[in-house]
Amino acid sequence: MSKKLFELIAKVMNVPTTSINDNSGPESIESWTSFKGYVLLYELESEFKVKFTIDEAMDVKKVSDIKRHLTNHGIVLND
Amino acid sequence: MKEEKLSYYVNKAAELNNHSFDKKIRIAILSSFTLNGFAETIQVKCAEKKIQCLTYVGGYNQYNQEILNSQSALYKFKPDLTFLFIDTRALLQDLFHHPHTISADERKSLVNEKTNEILGLTAKFSEITSSKLVLSNFAIPTFSSYGIFENKTDFGFHRMLNEINNKIADELSKSDSVYVYDFDKFVTKFGEKNVFDYKQFFFGDMKISLDHIPYLASEIMSYVIGYLGISKKCIVLDLDNTLWGGIIGEDGFNGIKLGPDPPGNAFMEFQKTLLSFHQRGIILAINSKNNYDDAIKVIQEHPYMQLREDNFASLKINWNDKVSNMKEIAEEINIGLDSIIFFDDDPVNREFVKINLPQVEIIDLPRDPSEFVNILKRLNEFSVLKITQEDQQRGKMYVEQRKRNDLEKSSPNLEGFLKQLDLRVSIKTANDFTIPRISQLTLKTNQFNLTTKRYQENDIKKFAQDKSYLVGCAQVEDKFGDNGITGVFIVNKNNPKEWYLDTFLLSCRVMGREVEKGIIGYVIKKAKESGVQYLRAQFIPTQKNKPVEDFLPNCGFKKELDSWVYSVNVPFEIPNCLTVSTE
Repeated sequence: MSKKLFELIAKVMNVPTTSINDNSGPESIESWTSFKGYVLLYELESEFKVKFTIDEAMDVKKVSDIKRHLTNHGIVLND
Repeated sequence: MKEEKLSYYVNKAAELNNHSFDKKIRIAILSSFTLNGFAETIQVKCAEKKIQCLTYVGGYNQYNQEILNSQSALYKFKPDLTFLFIDTRALLQDLFHHPHTISADERKSLVNEKTNEILGLTAKFSEITSSKLVLSNFAIPTFSSYGIFENKTDFGFHRMLNEINNKIADELSKSDSVYVYDFDKFVTKFGEKNVFDYKQFFFGDMKISLDHIPYLASEIMSYVIGYLGISKKCIVLDLDNTLWGGIIGEDGFNGIKLGPDPPGNAFMEFQKTLLSFHQRGIILAINSKNNYDDAIKVIQEHPYMQLREDNFASLKINWNDKVSNMKEIAEEINIGLDSIIFFDDDPVNREFVKINLPQVEIIDLPRDPSEFVNILKRLNEFSVLKITQEDQQRGKMYVEQRKRNDLEKSSPNLEGFLKQLDLRVSIKTANDFTIPRISQLTLKTNQFNLTTKRYQENDIKKFAQDKSYLVGCAQVEDKFGDNGITGVFIVNKNNPKEWYLDTFLLSCRVMGREVEKGIIGYVIKKAKESGVQYLRAQFIPTQKNKPVEDFLPNCGFKKELDSWVYSVNVPFEIPNCLTVSTE
């Protein structure tokens, strides 16, 4: 599932999947603007069929945060 | 209709930078809220239609200042089309939540106040720029704190918003520069809870959810298609499993599925919707592999057929391949293949046409006929900014055209045919009734068009008011019916000795009947009466206007460098198959 997650992030940010890791975020990925951040959240919601709370949405600073919230919603992320 | 995600459009738009297409449009987007990604989506959707689109996105909630200041970046951008989205919250501010804290009378005056505010803004805009403006109307929230009592409330919240929408629509209905986009209907179509997402609103003042921006852009493309005059004109249809269920050659007249019971009712409904398109002027034609006699019997006699022979401008029912048939249909009706949309249930036929005639738009018809109607209804390919009287008649006119063609085939020669046609050409001046059609013809005519200059209604209005221009059009009638206004001329009279033919065109509907000679004869006569010595004209070749190539020399114009000149003292003979009259 991590692969699926990384692929989706890479697709939205328009970067190679290999450039994504747990620490990726607006600081390391230039195309990760605040707008792209919203787009990512909503595409994650429809891909993983979850609804983030507004607190969770605001809390996302890097990929590991997304992983944590997805896990809280019962999504199993194996490598 | 399935849509891509917003990220697809945003990323794709970034790759479009160096693309250049012949058709170009400049679009400005103004809004009272965040509409990120919308411009990119429009750019990509334009590129899919081979249109190069440059966009300008106004500052967040800066629409008032941008419109009121004639020096603003908006006007410097010189848009062709400007979209203005103002949301209901921005319009009503505090009263959005508390509309019942003021009296019904106060709500009524608020309607006037807000309507005038918006109309003032649109008027100011049109004063400064020639860009068309598309103003979205106001989404009416489903919620009211009055609940089920809302519509018992004197001039309640919903009624008030309806009134604002209706007033604005009424005031602008006659305008040819400002259009109202029914955003409220967009919300109805996709559902308020889908279009408006509270989390996105709280998070980033997004009043249209990111998932729905591509859908909104799709709808907005109708204006781009209409503005550029690239709407489709003709629907070509297969018969078996498209207009009726089953195969006539196998199932027979009584075995095909068409009638009030399922699944025959799906085909009947599809035909009814097609008929409504025909009534507004879309041409229908048939391209089907079948025994002619079997199929025509259904079309003529089946009690539940909604479309009859008289609704089709061309009926290619034979065993020829669909590509040859398609080419013949285009030739017969005299339209470009790029004006055609093709409906066929068979994926093999679709692929075959797609590969050989990529200009034709092919609809991927699903197997389930109950989906046909919605597919047809969702097409925005027929969008026009104006439907003229000629347009409404067009479907019928092409059927008359088919009858003319039959007469032509049975006539021994062209001369005999034209004589029998009893052609009457009436020359009309540019006035409120004819100006929309004149503009439309300049925008749409590609084949018999000497200079292919495109003019919006406002341009034609200016010419018509300018004493140094002569603008007119020709209505053509014959024994089969009225072809409507099908010819246009615009003459620049600046030089009292020599007039210049700025525009001369003929709709493909009346090509090949010497009508053009009747019209040019009128222009020459006018020139002579005004003491002018020469009429100068130009032929500017394009990929499509070969049919007009020989027109000037055929009329006796003499070549002079890159233009053609007619000495008006040389008598011009109008062919005797025509009767030309003036108003």
